[in-house]
Amino acid sequence: MQIGWIHVVDFRNYRTLEYSPTPRLNLLIGPNAQGKTNLLEALGMLIAGRSFRTSRLAEMPRWGVERSTISGELVRGDGSAGRRVVRRTLTKREDDRWQNAGESVEWARVIAFGWQDLEIINGAPGARRNFIDGFAGRLYPTHLAALVRYRQILARRNRLLQQHAHGDDAAARLQPWNEQLAAVGMELMDRRRKAVAALQTELARIYRALSTTRSKVEVRYWTALGEATEPAALLAALNRTQRAELRRGQTLVGPHRDDLAIEIDGVDARAFASRGQQRLVALVLRLAEVLPVAEAAGTAPVLLLDDALSELDPGVRELVLRELGAAEQVFLTSPETLAVKGAAVFQVNAGGIAPV
Amino acid sequence: MAYYPEPVARLIDALQRLPGIGPKTAQRLTFFLLKRPADEVRELSESLVAVKDKIVYCRTCFNVTDEDPCRLCADPARDARLLCVVEEPNDLLAMERTGEYRGRYHVLLGALSPLDGVGPDDLKVRELLARIEAGAVEEVILATNPNVEGEATALYLAKLLRPLVLRVTRIARGLPVGGDLEYADQVTLSKALEGRREIS
Ligand SMILES: Nc1ncnc2c1ncn2[C@@H]1O[C@H](COP(=O)(O)OP(=O)(O)OP(=O)(O)O)[C@@H](O)[C@H]1O
Ligand SMILES: [Mg+2]
Ligand SMILES: [Zn+2]
Repeated sequence: MQIGWIHVVDFRNYRTLEYSPTPRLNLLIGPNAQGKTNLLEALGMLIAGRSFRTSRLAEMPRWGVERSTISGELVRGDGSAGRRVVRRTLTKREDDRWQNAGESVEWARVIAFGWQDLEIINGAPGARRNFIDGFAGRLYPTHLAALVRYRQILARRNRLLQQHAHGDDAAARLQPWNEQLAAVGMELMDRRRKAVAALQTELARIYRALSTTRSKVEVRYWTALGEATEPAALLAALNRTQRAELRRGQTLVGPHRDDLAIEIDGVDARAFASRGQQRLVALVLRLAEVLPVAEAAGTAPVLLLDDALSELDPGVRELVLRELGAAEQVFLTSPETLAVKGAAVFQVNAGGIAPV
Repeated sequence: MAYYPEPVARLIDALQRLPGIGPKTAQRLTFFLLKRPADEVRELSESLVAVKDKIVYCRTCFNVTDEDPCRLCADPARDARLLCVVEEPNDLLAMERTGEYRGRYHVLLGALSPLDGVGPDDLKVRELLARIEAGAVEEVILATNPNVEGEATALYLAKLLRPLVLRVTRIARGLPVGGDLEYADQVTLSKALEGRREIS
């Protein structure tokens, strides 16, 4: 798929912006703090209705405004002649909270890479869970709703654990929450495992194509439940840990405690990979999403790559650019001019954009 | 800084305590009411007092009613072998609007909600068990909302009730996720009722 055009009003540092990108590689060049990342965020909002860098709606509207709008055209571009004009608004409500409105387009998908993705490699387990949940959500549209439901169940169960630390009816009160947690939890784990499996083949292929070494990257799903796939296994684990949970006031097993193991040639990438290697693996994880997502959605996703070449050596940069040549619509930002054959270059400057 | 006259401020303050009404809406409503004819406003204030004075909870099913037992509990044509459990009186009304259900009701007046400190003792659960023990009920239909609180309530009740009645069923999901029964349209709700399944 592609973005045909986008029109932004009062979003981040943009007052108004009209931009018609090319259907292939778009280079967005400009000095620091001019609005390159903000533009990628707007493009991502247009497609997915969510920001890839913040969950706080209030950060996105231009400071001082009460309403921000992003509209544009999404082109399915697989010969089906599917085209949709989408309009999204962020509006400040009476109670000062922001409301996000706009319809969703079933086949529209976006994959974003930014500096924060380095945390997938060297951050806490939460960053890896977010990564795999985001990817699973692009493959299976019900995944994110299930995740929201899981978090609701977890918050309520944790509250009960805290309230009933000494009660003897704790087990009876926990039971309905245990059952729900086990059912939804296993559903999440099942889709995450499928997502990891879908990632694996592409990850190996792309890493081989991009790295100048012969190394092999692997991702595995890690859970205290081992290979179990039945909700009964999670239920049994909850019952086993209940005493410790009551003491700690926290749920100690379930998909919210799981992790991904990311290894280069069998060793933990977090502990042993060089900074450049970590950058490359993070980028490759995102690129490995492309094919499975395209298959699930029926059309290729749009790629938003924020400063994806920094810290990579010139040889690797060349290889990355070559790999991007095979993708559909790509937006790549950079603070320095890049010479790429066939790419459309745009200069981003103080909340404006101009073709070069 | 200018202040509103005391009665105006008082009304704004009172309206603002209603769910979904913020300060701006409360002001708008207040000034709207100020412009209406006096008897229209009197009618509104009297109906506010009347709900509080004349409406009670039915001591059998805990529906809101102006006579106790309520018309549904008093109606001999309603099938006493079927008992539909809902969270709130408006859920009962939604179920009645389908026109498909001919059994009786039990309103819990809430759902299990750890975040609000609502446990089984805060709901009409003991009263439900007493009705079941009285004997006539053969099937309990758990029609609590499909959100996590409603689901927990259904699972909790199912475990309590299974040894006591022949059949415990849950209305079929497929209702909007996180949605309330009240907003489910009549077709969705009668399908949910029709597709109810034994809960294990
Ligand atoms: N809600 C907002 N309203 C107005 N301006 C904002 C808002 N949010 C961020 N900005 C401004 O946008 C600018 C940053 O833009 P952005 O992050 O897109 O820069 P960039 O071009 O990606 O820079 P870099 O090369 O450093 O990554 C900041 O200077 C910030 O002041
Ligand atoms: Mg940036
Ligand atoms: Zn009654």
